[in-house]
Amino acid sequence: MSKNHQSVGITIENVGLSFGDTQVLKGVNLKIAPGEFFAFLGPSGSGKSTLLRAIAGFGPTPTGRILIGDRDVTSMQPWQRNVGMVFQNYALWPHMTVQENVAFGLEERKVPSAVIAKRVHQALELVGLAHLAQRRPSELSGGQQQRIALARTVVVEPKVLLLDEPLSNLDANLRVQMRRDILKLQRELGLTTIFVTHDQEEANTTSDRMAVLNNGVIQQVGPPMQLYDAPANRFVANFIGSANILDGKIAVADDGQSSTFISEQGLQLTLGAQPAGKASLIFRPQNTRLEQQQHSANNLILPGRIVYREFLGSLIRYGVDVCGHILSVDELHSIGAIHRAVGDSVSLSVEQEQAVVVNQ
Amino acid sequence: MPSNTSTRKGLFRLDFSSVQWGPGIVATLIGVFLLIVLVMPVAKVMYVAFQNPDTGALTINNFIDFFNAALFRESFANSFYVASMSVIFATIIAMPLAYFTTRFNFAGSTLIQTLGMIPLIMPPFVGAVAMQLFFGGNGSVNLLLDDYFGFTVPFMEGLNGVILVQSVHFFPFILINLSASLNNIDRSMEEAALNLGSSGMRLFRRIVFPLAMPGYIAGASLVFLKVFDDLGTPLLLNVNNMLAPQAYLRITSVGISDPIGYVISVILVLFSLFSMWVSFLAMKGKDYATAQKGGGGLLRRDLKPWEKFGCYAVITIILLFVLAPHTALGLLSISTVWSYSPLPDGYTLDHYSEVFATANQYITNTLLYAGLAGLIDIILGTAIAYIVWRTKIWGRKALDLVAMGALAIPGVVIGIGYLRMFYDINLPFSDVPMATWWGIMVIALAVRRLPYALRACVAALQQVSLSLEEAAESLGASKWSTIKRVVVPLMTGGILAGFVTSFATAAVELSATIMLVAKEGDAPLAYGIYVFMQSAAGRGPGAALGIIAVVIVGLGTYASHVIIERTKKANGLK
Amino acid sequence: MFNNLSNKTVKCLAISSLALAVASVSQTAAAAEQTLTIVTSFPSDLTKVFKAEFEKLHPDVKLEVLKKKTSAGIKYISETAANNKIDLFWASAPDAFEVLKDGGLLQKYSVKVNGIPAKVGSFPIHDPEGYYKGFAAAGYGIMWNTRYTKAKKLPAPTNWSDLEKPVYFNHVGMSAPSRSGTTHLTVETILQADGWGNGWGSLKRMAGNFKSVTERSFGVPDGVNSGNFGVGIVIDFFGLSSQGAGFPVEFIYPPATALVPANIGIVNNAPNSQMAGEFIEFLLSDHGQELLLNPKIRRLPVNPDTYAKAPEGFPNPFQDSSLQSSLHFDLKLSKNRYNLVNSLFDVMITYRMDDLRAATKAIHAAQKALSETPNVEAAALVKQARTLVAALPITEADANNPDISAVFTKKRKKATDKVTGRQAEVEAKWDAFVVANYEQAKDLAEQALSKM
Repeated sequence: MSKNHQSVGITIENVGLSFGDTQVLKGVNLKIAPGEFFAFLGPSGSGKSTLLRAIAGFGPTPTGRILIGDRDVTSMQPWQRNVGMVFQNYALWPHMTVQENVAFGLEERKVPSAVIAKRVHQALELVGLAHLAQRRPSELSGGQQQRIALARTVVVEPKVLLLDEPLSNLDANLRVQMRRDILKLQRELGLTTIFVTHDQEEANTTSDRMAVLNNGVIQQVGPPMQLYDAPANRFVANFIGSANILDGKIAVADDGQSSTFISEQGLQLTLGAQPAGKASLIFRPQNTRLEQQQHSANNLILPGRIVYREFLGSLIRYGVDVCGHILSVDELHSIGAIHRAVGDSVSLSVEQEQAVVVNQ
Repeated sequence: MPSNTSTRKGLFRLDFSSVQWGPGIVATLIGVFLLIVLVMPVAKVMYVAFQNPDTGALTINNFIDFFNAALFRESFANSFYVASMSVIFATIIAMPLAYFTTRFNFAGSTLIQTLGMIPLIMPPFVGAVAMQLFFGGNGSVNLLLDDYFGFTVPFMEGLNGVILVQSVHFFPFILINLSASLNNIDRSMEEAALNLGSSGMRLFRRIVFPLAMPGYIAGASLVFLKVFDDLGTPLLLNVNNMLAPQAYLRITSVGISDPIGYVISVILVLFSLFSMWVSFLAMKGKDYATAQKGGGGLLRRDLKPWEKFGCYAVITIILLFVLAPHTALGLLSISTVWSYSPLPDGYTLDHYSEVFATANQYITNTLLYAGLAGLIDIILGTAIAYIVWRTKIWGRKALDLVAMGALAIPGVVIGIGYLRMFYDINLPFSDVPMATWWGIMVIALAVRRLPYALRACVAALQQVSLSLEEAAESLGASKWSTIKRVVVPLMTGGILAGFVTSFATAAVELSATIMLVAKEGDAPLAYGIYVFMQSAAGRGPGAALGIIAVVIVGLGTYASHVIIERTKKANGLK
Repeated sequence: MFNNLSNKTVKCLAISSLALAVASVSQTAAAAEQTLTIVTSFPSDLTKVFKAEFEKLHPDVKLEVLKKKTSAGIKYISETAANNKIDLFWASAPDAFEVLKDGGLLQKYSVKVNGIPAKVGSFPIHDPEGYYKGFAAAGYGIMWNTRYTKAKKLPAPTNWSDLEKPVYFNHVGMSAPSRSGTTHLTVETILQADGWGNGWGSLKRMAGNFKSVTERSFGVPDGVNSGNFGVGIVIDFFGLSSQGAGFPVEFIYPPATALVPANIGIVNNAPNSQMAGEFIEFLLSDHGQELLLNPKIRRLPVNPDTYAKAPEGFPNPFQDSSLQSSLHFDLKLSKNRYNLVNSLFDVMITYRMDDLRAATKAIHAAQKALSETPNVEAAALVKQARTLVAALPITEADANNPDISAVFTKKRKKATDKVTGRQAEVEAKWDAFVVANYEQAKDLAEQALSKM
């Protein structure tokens, strides 16, 4: 249970997969570095779990190639791959004690029983539940079950660790605690880890890099902040954090050296060299300010009227109607701050560098 | 709180809200019904076992005699041995069928499951003849073996013969229950093990089978009980040194009034109840299916072509083997003469025309009786299941136990009990004794098959989440309305399964009904077979009638399998 | 108010008159057609013919034929006696009628038809006390499957004693006397003809060759027909009707066979006893007797004149010497030890078939070796083994002693009736005796073999 093994990377090359007529993965390419904590983020049905299960060897054999380290595992049986997987519902076997559950994988590997006892104990210590070794899974809380499931997986020292929505069955407080514990464990063991989630906060807080999936296609790969700041498309922008999106099109200048984004509301923005076509302008609510007057050359200015106000604790969120389009504006809340009222006419101001134009 | 709407309160809490009276009244009615049609008739017969035949005083001397007699001790040991070994062999037969059809993607799973049910439907008398013709000491198999290899295998000799026939006959109980259990295991349970390096037989032995244990125990205990109590097979193989045949021979022997036959019956019943209790203990705390539902669905794997071939080969061999008696029966029904030869001398359809000319009434009677019995069973089964699992009515466990207890009562005891109980009472407006009314046969069949339907209904009810009922109640549905509009529709598949098992087994039931047939016009199919099998010329028509019974039941089973699959899909359970 | 009340009264009246109507309808239905209910163990091949002819003769009567195994029929009649709906009991075995008679379940009837002699073979045709009547006779014999005997190279048996020969080991089938009344009569006939000790001796030597003791008497022809075993001890119509159905079987009456009558009796408190008498008269009438000659029925008429109409080769017990018996069948003796004999047969043979077979096999082996290499010592051992197999746990005197056999027949009529001893207790003692003897016999025979 120490960092005594070489971390390996995972390479996914042009992986496709169908259930009957439904294409669930469409030519996925991905390289995950050794020791990396990687997240698959996406809505349900995006193919993220299917991709994870394909790496573990569950479900139909995909097209393309999956490599763990240098080993092509694409058509290997699950039990030959030596990848550790933690299931959403933990899948602890109810007919075995905690001890027996954790020992199972080692027994399957024909490890001598004295060694098994030692390593099971270590694994349970690692998750802080050595005192529950003789309990049955049904006698444990959700968080405890989660830890046992982790211990059961890491005790066999798998090459990679796959976590399938591991936190979704826990309540909110426990979730935050657990994700820190998982990250700590991962750093300790240096295990290449893939974490599947539909919760952006989980993905943002834990992962070194992540891939956002939609409809079986990877939309963007990168560190969480990069994906937030520079979403590759409308979907990523919308899925990670809140975004104001104005749809429009890009018109290329005659010389081809510059182009202009023209929103449906008539707003214009000069850009560098960009291909022509439909595009969207994206900016975050917290980077948008409410102004009384219309000036400042470097800013985008949009006139509108406040239609709602929400108190979010640290923030106040205003909904502003701009030409029939509701945009969000977040202002930091402080004691005694003066708030605007619904119905006030305002101008929205966004610094140009805070706005991103993406092709649709 | 003046109005407490929870039904999970005692019936006898003096809280007169209607919601508690409803189930309470139903429970009482069912209790009284079971008392009259099960407990009292059986008690009337069993009472003799505790009577001193000399003085009529109560005594346990008869039981002392039982344990002092070497023959009875041996019979007990034989029955126990045969029942245990039958469970083992039935498991070997049922396991691959259940596993393959639930774990692999397979064309014809429904057909295989249906064919797997057929062996349960063995018509009396002709079944054993057919078995002998095929597997007997001088049956087809041994004649061929002797011709080509010069040796024979005593399949049908002594206790081994009984074990063979019983395992082939009763393995569907394990198949049904094990399949249901396998269908309830969440796939992540198996995937977790695969992921940790386990596969194949080890995976099955360490994970799949332990998780399917509740279903397996339910099926295995049923096999054990049925074999332990069954007298038809040992009698037809002329094996007498077992408990059930000993009881039967002694009860029905001409002019003998020794109570020992009844003593053996009491011991059969007590031991059956004991083994039911043991299996109950074994199942306690093992209801994994409901505890660990992950929503991941079932792990079903596609097979590679050669694997598929292997699976089909195994299944075909097993099915050929377990359906051999029916194959032989089919041959017998179209054969002119079949005697000491691997195959009949010639073929004819005359037996069928004879049966259709003379025995139609047996067929219609059987459909009517078995259908009504099945109907009564699922109504009672649903009601009892609900009372036991969803209410806290006092005595509900006893109700369950009594209903299940019918499993442990030999048919002949019920038959005689009914004659004693109902012969003195006339039907209203007539001087016809109640015991000679055909309805009494329906009740006898219903009582004997109630345990099957009850188990199916309980299993179905346990899969209906309590929150679905609570949702209906919170939307203002009354208890009755909830049961009618939410619970019963969701139980449809299970209820239907219960109906089929009751119907199918009642259709070929003999021991209780033959005692109660009072008019030839009222007689069921099993009686018709008996009548045919009284003469040498009746063997063919008897077999034809047997085949008709099997076909009727087989079609019914298949249809309900299809309906069950459909409702499962409609309810999104699949 | 008044209106309401009267409405209610009208309704009540309507209901009660409806009830009356139902009752009267069912009564008139009963009057229009008399139903004569018969419980029988006979196959439909037989009952069908008699039913049709009788209903032709009495168009107003409907014959309800209820088939039950003899033992089940007795149980049915005795369990339902309190509210009896059965008119006639119609079956082979006279002893079944004896049981019913003893239970007070039959009523006397005197036959009007003339021409029926007192006896067939050694057996009185009618119950001397007048409770039941013989209407046909049947003889015991041996049937065998010719394909079976050919394949196993068995000689065709001609005599009862043939069945004791080692060549028939594991090839013979018979029903148990406790299960089949006619089998009981055969056993009793052997016991009376050969004497208690010798009779049981030859029965056990024969039984040593049994493949099975069947639970139903029809199990024997069934087993022979299938080829499950080769040779069966059966009543003639089983053998002959099997032949008629096309099975490759032969049947013979060995010399000195037992002829037994098949009977009919009116059940006590029969709902229709007058018509029941008519049915008996019909059975014994010339027409009824002739029906027995029907090839599907094939029973021996009890009216000697009927044989004039019989086909060629039809056995005639009143003339054929092989069917004549010098034995005077002692009905009273038979009745006294009825259950005792049944129980003894079961204890010694039916339930201990395996032990008996093992002992017999060992003796056969030793005997065979002995015939090749004579050895005095071994011969003595074999003789001893044979004696052990034949040994009986009860003497003839005891068996015939009504006080002892009462253990098996007792039926408490009143709570004050007292009988000593319990059947199970006695049987357990017999069983221990028999098992030990068979075991020892096997050991001795094996010893004998090892000496050669």
